[in-house]
Amino acid sequence: MKIKNFFEIKKLFIILISFFTLLIQTGCFDSREIDDQTYVIAIGFDNGKTSKLRMTLQYAIPINIGGGGESGGGGGGEGSEMVSTLTLECPSVYSGLNMVNNFVGKQVNLSHAKVIVFSEELAKDGRAAMLAREISRGREFRPTMIIAVSECSPEEYLKSIKPKQETDPAKYYELKFRSYKYTGFTANTQLHFFNSCLGSYGIQPVATLVGVGGIEDTDDFSIENSTALSKGRTMALEGDYIAGNLPKVGDIKGEAMGLVVFNGPHLAGKLDGEETCMYLIAIGEFNNNYTTFIDPKRDDLYVVVRLSQSRKPEYDVKMVGDIPEIGLSLKLECDLLSVQSAFNYEDTEREVLEQWIEKSLTESMTRFLKRTAQEMNSDICGFGTKIKSKFATQKQWEEFEWLSRYKDARFNVKVDVKIRRPGLNIRNTQG
Amino acid sequence: MDSSRLKFGKAEMIGLLINTISLQIFLNYPRTMAEHSGTAGWILSIYTGIIVFIIFAIIAKLYSQFEGKDILDVSEYLAGNTGRIFMGVAVMLHTSFAISIILREFSENMKTISLTSSPISYVTFFFIVCIMAASYFGIESLARTNLIIQPVITIAFIIIMIGALPYADINNLFPIWGNGIENIFIKGIKNISSYSAIIILFIFFPFIRTNKIFKISGFTGIILSAIFFTISTITYTMVYPYPESMESFLPIFRLSRLINFGRFFQRIESVFLLIWASAAFTYLSAMFFLIVYIFAKTFKLEYYKPLILPFLIIIFTASLLPGSLVEAINLETVYFRSVAWIVPFGLTTLVLLLANLKKKYSRKGIIRK
Repeated sequence: MKIKNFFEIKKLFIILISFFTLLIQTGCFDSREIDDQTYVIAIGFDNGKTSKLRMTLQYAIPINIGGGGESGGGGGGEGSEMVSTLTLECPSVYSGLNMVNNFVGKQVNLSHAKVIVFSEELAKDGRAAMLAREISRGREFRPTMIIAVSECSPEEYLKSIKPKQETDPAKYYELKFRSYKYTGFTANTQLHFFNSCLGSYGIQPVATLVGVGGIEDTDDFSIENSTALSKGRTMALEGDYIAGNLPKVGDIKGEAMGLVVFNGPHLAGKLDGEETCMYLIAIGEFNNNYTTFIDPKRDDLYVVVRLSQSRKPEYDVKMVGDIPEIGLSLKLECDLLSVQSAFNYEDTEREVLEQWIEKSLTESMTRFLKRTAQEMNSDICGFGTKIKSKFATQKQWEEFEWLSRYKDARFNVKVDVKIRRPGLNIRNTQG
Repeated sequence: MDSSRLKFGKAEMIGLLINTISLQIFLNYPRTMAEHSGTAGWILSIYTGIIVFIIFAIIAKLYSQFEGKDILDVSEYLAGNTGRIFMGVAVMLHTSFAISIILREFSENMKTISLTSSPISYVTFFFIVCIMAASYFGIESLARTNLIIQPVITIAFIIIMIGALPYADINNLFPIWGNGIENIFIKGIKNISSYSAIIILFIFFPFIRTNKIFKISGFTGIILSAIFFTISTITYTMVYPYPESMESFLPIFRLSRLINFGRFFQRIESVFLLIWASAAFTYLSAMFFLIVYIFAKTFKLEYYKPLILPFLIIIFTASLLPGSLVEAINLETVYFRSVAWIVPFGLTTLVLLLANLKKKYSRKGIIRK
């Protein structure tokens, strides 16, 4: 009986100890209350005046997000901003965070940061690439963050972001930088891809191009702000712009359009919306978008299609002598959305339109590839990774120095387009 | 401990083997494969799996004469008390070094990725408490608990591998021979050390008793571990191209941070932490039990439980000896893994070979019993 009591007391003791342990665990070294932290959602880096770096942090104001602000409901009304920004100069990222922690009431938490914006100067002198490598060591910086380069200062860009339709600013950024799936005007430029490409011998990195629209009046719209003239067009199409130059006025000032191309760690050039679309098609990441083509039979009218990629691209990368010869075979599909002329592109004239779109896309793709190779000397499509399989060892591949040979590359682009659906009309009877 | 009364089946033994061998996947295995062979890490992984399979086939053949006996019993048969003590000390040193370093690595990793403000001794303490509890309950409870945890770990591992696939590029596996054929097939052979935890099979043989279970457990454990090793190395290499693949100190954790199924299913590394801690607890407990069990058996002690606390203090103190995490990682990957094959494969094969010869000549009457 005594022995039984002893075991019962022992059991009770273990249970009490367990409960006590659970209680003290809540106050252990790493305990952090969710509402005791400041959640940064975007970070900007620029050259500093007093120190190496000018860092801008955009952080969420939860009380206005959750409907607790004066505006109530979804929050975000005037006078109750969902985000706030602060800018400071510091020698490095973490020392900057230390400084911020000193005057912001709550400890800064970066685990919800969605985007890092670098200034063009930092991208040009290679410090943006260096910072991207530096922050990937940090546990709080997530590899899925978007890397962007700003036409204006990152501070200006981040201050221009005022989500109107979202109650959650983090969600705003997620949706904004995911819009390439249905526009084709930006790309997936996550920190993980950026750093992988930086260290690669066969592909080079890109970053999303962002900027602030500076046009206040519609009278200030000008074709000079587009890339249309350089392509021989008198009227701009939707992809003939880069961020900051879109012909628009309104409350939404922050823009993301086009890409920044890197040659190694240095900025080598910029791509507009159309070239970005070609980039996505070339790497097989294009989903769909609305694309406008000049009517093959009436050059004053347009045909608008919903363009999508039906198959992954086929690559044929080989060396002819010392010259890389790159074959790119693309298969795309279209749904007709708008035909301004009265030609029967749905049926009898379908092949005419298909061949016209194929020709237009081939020209655009070849122009894009030649520009990145000859002007920017950068293999952002990763053709080098396709020829790697022809080398037996890593040493042979590194000694081959693909990236230095790429500028001489010759391209052979083949585009196959099929019009699959005519929209809700199967013929035009008004011709 | 009386091993003649305790026993567990092949499922428990296979589970223990898979956990103790494959645990390195959660530490640094995919990275070390990239360090040795570059883009051909997965070939090295398959190659070492095949070599270990062949070596184990030889060991299993040699073991057939010693059914139900552990390697200490065989050593004792070969060279009496001296043989038993020599083998026991060798296995103890091997295992103690492994467990001290891995305890430190797990604690440091936990501190780096989750408990950043906690002192390292505080983090290590939780592992120590778990090891202590498991050792008091004994190997049978441990093996059965592991059998429950193992499927969960395997499923979570597969989810992480599948989740990382959208980031994978098959071109990252080229050039096919990576850092060269010599690095894979000649210099890479020392990587059979990755399977050094197979020593538990040679020590816990009395618990599974029969040669049949011994062979099934060994072969299955090796094949499944080789599959997990290869899958993890292929996925990691496809996602992180060489030479970037040499950078991460926790490759699978890094893979898990990428996983993003829409806006809802993100930050899957919390699942990683759970399975990672479970795998670590089981591994450390099994290996620690092995140490106290061997000590008791080597020096013919009747009870092993009084050894638990002093040995825990020794292991805990030893784990804190390396000056930094990088020092601990180097001790494991550069030094320990270069020689870790000697005890489980080299010494075991030698002892079994000599014991077989002794038995053969004893039958013929050349050697007197």
